Amino acid sequence: MQLFFEQLVNGWALGSLYALFGIGFGLVFATLGILNAAHGAYASWAAIIGYYAVTSLGLPLPLALLAGVLGGGAIAIIVDQVAFQPLRAVGAGMLGALITSIAFWIILDSLAGFATKQQSLAFPPSSYPYNMVDFGVIRVPAMQIITIITLILVTTGMWILIARTRVGAAMRAVGWNATAAGLGGVNARMVILLTAFLAGATSGLAGVLGGIATNNVSYTLGEALLLKGFAAVVVGGYDDVRGTAIAGICLGIIEVFVAQYISTSFRDGFTYILLLTFLVARPRGLFGSISVQRA
Amino acid sequence: MNHVTIRSLAAAGLLAGAIAAPTLAAAQSLDKGVYEVGFITEKTGPLAAAGISYWHGAELALEEINSASLLGDGIALELVEKESGSDAARAVQALTQFAADRDIKVATCCILSPVAGALKPVAKSMGIPLIIYGATRPGLPELPYVSSVVALPGPAEVKMTQTLADTLKPKKVTYFVNADNDAFQARFKAAQKVMEDNGIETGEVISILANDTDFTGPATQAMATNPDLIMVWTTQTPAVGIVSALRQRGYEGDISSSDVISPVAVFEKAGQAIEGVPFPILFSPSLSKDPRAQAFIDAYNKKYGQQPDTYSAQGYTVMYYLAQALGTLSGNPSREEIAEALAAVKEIKDNIYGGLPMIDGQATVENSLIVNWSGDGTLVPWEAK
Repeated sequence: MQLFFEQLVNGWALGSLYALFGIGFGLVFATLGILNAAHGAYASWAAIIGYYAVTSLGLPLPLALLAGVLGGGAIAIIVDQVAFQPLRAVGAGMLGALITSIAFWIILDSLAGFATKQQSLAFPPSSYPYNMVDFGVIRVPAMQIITIITLILVTTGMWILIARTRVGAAMRAVGWNATAAGLGGVNARMVILLTAFLAGATSGLAGVLGGIATNNVSYTLGEALLLKGFAAVVVGGYDDVRGTAIAGICLGIIEVFVAQYISTSFRDGFTYILLLTFLVARPRGLFGSISVQRA
Repeated sequence: MNHVTIRSLAAAGLLAGAIAAPTLAAAQSLDKGVYEVGFITEKTGPLAAAGISYWHGAELALEEINSASLLGDGIALELVEKESGSDAARAVQALTQFAADRDIKVATCCILSPVAGALKPVAKSMGIPLIIYGATRPGLPELPYVSSVVALPGPAEVKMTQTLADTLKPKKVTYFVNADNDAFQARFKAAQKVMEDNGIETGEVISILANDTDFTGPATQAMATNPDLIMVWTTQTPAVGIVSALRQRGYEGDISSSDVISPVAVFEKAGQAIEGVPFPILFSPSLSKDPRAQAFIDAYNKKYGQQPDTYSAQGYTVMYYLAQALGTLSGNPSREEIAEALAAVKEIKDNIYGGLPMIDGQATVENSLIVNWSGDGTLVPWEAK
């Protein structure tokens, strides 16, 4: 049973990264109507910024995390304003935004490759909690606990923001109809900027935590999160962060358990099967509302 | 660019006789000019750290060959690079482009065996000599068009595995292996056979994929088998991730790996996690005492401000292998003639390994070392704790 529980926590922590990443991904889709392929690059860049904040500036982990999160948010705003705002202005559809986001994905990934000298870097072990925490039956790396708690806090905070605040109401209104929201007194431009920032910041948080947890800070980091984050959003539902969080965790646990008890060869296959099943049988996901427009 | 031009054979012969270096004993009389070598680089992508080392090694050797006029006065080699990012499709495209360019006399490529395997039929069908600088799957060379300067790791790894079996006397060994890399599958199977021939039980074989980044689950899985030794037969990034995850989870038993963890960049990344992990190596700047190797190390240090690694040594060897073959030719040789000349090389004379026989187009190194990273970032001979 010890192995079962240790793998359960491994999967939970891994899934928490997918979920963190997916929350921002879903937020942009639900509010701005953009399927943003460049979203993974925000995670890569946040991890790179966090890494250099630690190794070059000697900042402690909380400040490095903050730097990565702010960096991810800032890049997301820049991409939104440079790439998507002009398309929004001319009323271009989702396909145009998707194609543009793919172009920015390639550009940002290439620049990330230069920033890391095309190498896979790693946070120095002295820069983050490296120890194991003893729970009696099992021992868990401290970073896994931090990742799990972070997801709980972010999910709760984001859900309260979206469902219980005026800002959240404005975001939902813009997501429903930006013109109507504007006529109702909502500053759609500010809401769009805030949404882009929040999406980049949560993706950045996943990037820094993932970079630490996997000893891999490189341009490939975001790519690895992109598909799984997308799957978490599809399975959980685009417009409910709780669904994304639960689906992300489930994906992580399934992934680890399939590798442990069945075979590594089938691991990603299960993710794809789950993704396809939801796309066909329940396209709005676990928690998504029926009215969400789909690609 | 001053490409090969027709010159008097007699004049070239006289010049070559006067200038040729001792290491290129055969009297050569190549036409004067620049001979282009297509180099399919892997300076981006998952193996970029190693790819840059291969390139640096080749670049240094080329400078030495040209500045010493090893091929004769007025004869120079030039590297023309095309990047593949370790992607087979891009590598094939690069080789196809090289083949279409008649100024490119020979091409060199590939760290990954599947990529080299994809290029092999292209090289043969298009008639362009291909020298493999990194891939290690047995059977890749096929004379006259495909040869390899990379000694197969098999013998050195079998030797290391036997040493580990003799000194550590493990009762149970658990293995990590790339499910998507047949070369590492073969290397793992060879090691497993040695262990099982010594009566050592296999705890579990844990398959991972080259693009995996999270190894907490596989590390937990391995530790749950209570092994006395964990052998990691994977490509570089997973190997570092696996060893780091095992150490972070508190595994204090023995771990071994392969030469994928030999570059300095890997130690800089993984640090203490890979300290003391044994692996076999054919060349080490801190342990190689051969004067020719020392000259290479000094020159590399001077040019790049860092120690060479086993990969830069292989890139370096490619150019001397090619120079040796070209030194036996005259005039403006065709690709076919160059391929035949490469196939005729039975030993790379100017090498840093203390001997480098070529058997059926495959380099062979008999002297291997078992080393590990020490705390101060140097490679030291491995000793059982």
